[in-house]
Amino acid sequence: MTNKIVNSPAARISSLADSFKDVLKCGQQYVELLDQLASTDQAEDLLTAASKLTEQDLHNAFIDFPQHYQAADYYMLFMGRLLEMHQVASVTVDENQQHEFVATIDPLTDARFKFVVGANGEAAFTEQSQQQPLFYMNLNQRLFQFNNRALVNYFIVYALKKHSDLELRDAIKSLIEFANELADDLGFTINLGILNTANDRRFKLQQPDLRLTMIDRLFVKTGETDYMLMNLPHNSGAELLLDQGIKFDLSFDPDDYSQEWAFSVKDPGEQVSFFDILLHYNLVRQWYLADRDALAVRSEQLIITDDESTSPVATTVPAAPTEPTEPFPAPADQVTEPASAVRDSEKTPTDNGDVVDTETDEDD
Amino acid sequence: MASKNQDSKAVDVSQEIEGRIATKVKYLQELNYAIDQHHDRDVYRLLDNQRYAKEIEHREQQPNDEGVMSLVDDLADQLSSYLSVNLIKYLGKTYPFFYYEEYQTGHYRIYFGNWWDRRRFGELDVLNVRFSFDQTEYQMLNKSFELARKNKRYNSDRINKISSENDRLQELIDHRREREEKRQQIQAELKDINSRSGLFESSRNRATREELVTQLQKLEDQETEARTAAQTIKENEQVVLALSKENTILSYEQKSIIDTFGSFEDFELANRNLYANYLKSLSADQDAGKQVNADD
Repeated sequence: MTNKIVNSPAARISSLADSFKDVLKCGQQYVELLDQLASTDQAEDLLTAASKLTEQDLHNAFIDFPQHYQAADYYMLFMGRLLEMHQVASVTVDENQQHEFVATIDPLTDARFKFVVGANGEAAFTEQSQQQPLFYMNLNQRLFQFNNRALVNYFIVYALKKHSDLELRDAIKSLIEFANELADDLGFTINLGILNTANDRRFKLQQPDLRLTMIDRLFVKTGETDYMLMNLPHNSGAELLLDQGIKFDLSFDPDDYSQEWAFSVKDPGEQVSFFDILLHYNLVRQWYLADRDALAVRSEQLIITDDESTSPVATTVPAAPTEPTEPFPAPADQVTEPASAVRDSEKTPTDNGDVVDTETDEDD
Repeated sequence: MASKNQDSKAVDVSQEIEGRIATKVKYLQELNYAIDQHHDRDVYRLLDNQRYAKEIEHREQQPNDEGVMSLVDDLADQLSSYLSVNLIKYLGKTYPFFYYEEYQTGHYRIYFGNWWDRRRFGELDVLNVRFSFDQTEYQMLNKSFELARKNKRYNSDRINKISSENDRLQELIDHRREREEKRQQIQAELKDINSRSGLFESSRNRATREELVTQLQKLEDQETEARTAAQTIKENEQVVLALSKENTILSYEQKSIIDTFGSFEDFELANRNLYANYLKSLSADQDAGKQVNADD
């Protein structure tokens, strides 16, 4: 019976017409979303448009839509528009010859940034010449996270050869502003990683043990400077006294038997991050980069969960820095417990589709 | 009369005893009062009258009455602990880089600084208001000040020597291939020469052969050394780190002394005058009716 109906010419034409209608409706929606992305002055509407556009599939058998953009471009447009709403002029988004949206950040004249979209719906803001993913965001989950290792690789190791520390600080500032706008306007959960300036923020080391000769090396380096490396109470680590009351600690909690070593930065105004110390202080930078294997900060997970299913999908994000005890604070049913997150993600695909071993996935 | 003489003698003796006891009681009462009121300056005067007279009142030859002073000999540790409170408070301001650890009642170890690694520097003699520096450590600091005048650091020479030794060892490791090529070349030459040796070997041939054998031996010696060189370099680097650390500790110490006193000489001068300066600071407090540590 059904076969007969479908095979009848009238039914076939009607079915084809329906398909066209769907596609045209889809096209109409697409155009409306583009309008919304381009012209809304509401952050929520902007997010909705960008989020839908990154998921919309215009490919179909019936109609060839003209040249359109990729998901990565919508992420970039979203970023550009949100910054524009806040009058942040230092990030410029432009279309290149391949119709891709590319960002430049003042005053880094030579660098180009593009979003690279991963399999789990997270977009990595990636510097093109060094291929360093500086941060990740996921619009549906409203998550944002800086990549510590990439920040060090790109800014501290690479860009500092061409730019002054003050120029790099300005460039980073606009990225932090973007993260804060996501948090303030759209309730994103953001993780600033080593850019966090809170005094109580601690970055645990990747290696379980720290040879004290590592601290000896920093101590010896201070001999030629005006800075002094002090001993912390109960021999729980060392504290470098820097300018204007800034203290840079490498220490463990003496009350915690596990004695996990961690970096922290304390300053009177809570305005200085671990990254700032690496950026501004030659002494610390040289010491850190010379023994980066021993001093690298522990890898942490960006947990992206599937809204629809109860089984969480853990995505390994190299250098995603959260305390193992505090992954993104999301609703309880979306949070993967840290322990199981590590187990689940021991062999999980990265955004490149590569299988990586989380244990070796160390970051800064 | 003998008995009268004896009586008067007995009276003299008992008077003498009473006099002596009265002096002792008076001493103990004074000390007791000074302790009670925390008049540390008076305590110091009572414990060493001779020094007090000389250094504070500038009266020479005022002998100590050992008979009364020895009364509190067995309280030395407790008195030291008692007097340390104000003294260490004073030293905290005047010698901000010294730290003290009371390892038993009235006995204080001195630590120089609170930095990543620091030295034990002797003991604080509270009763005599004096640093009793560990002479080995003190001489190191003294020497490092002398060297600083020549822009040198305490372990610079040793560090330079070990560093150039490491450079030499690294060369040995780097030139392994060249050495092997050279060795093969010499062996080939030796083979060639050996074929021409024998009973009637020319003296020139023999000399060349011996020279080649010597060269070969030298190459093999170098090769043997190169095999353990990487390990030796590592060990040397550890030694250099330890020596550099010692340099750094000394530079922190120098910096602290210069920041506080201006020079090592002024530091030593302050040490010599510590008793007088400290007691004068107590006098000023007492005169102003603001004895340190008073309970007001």
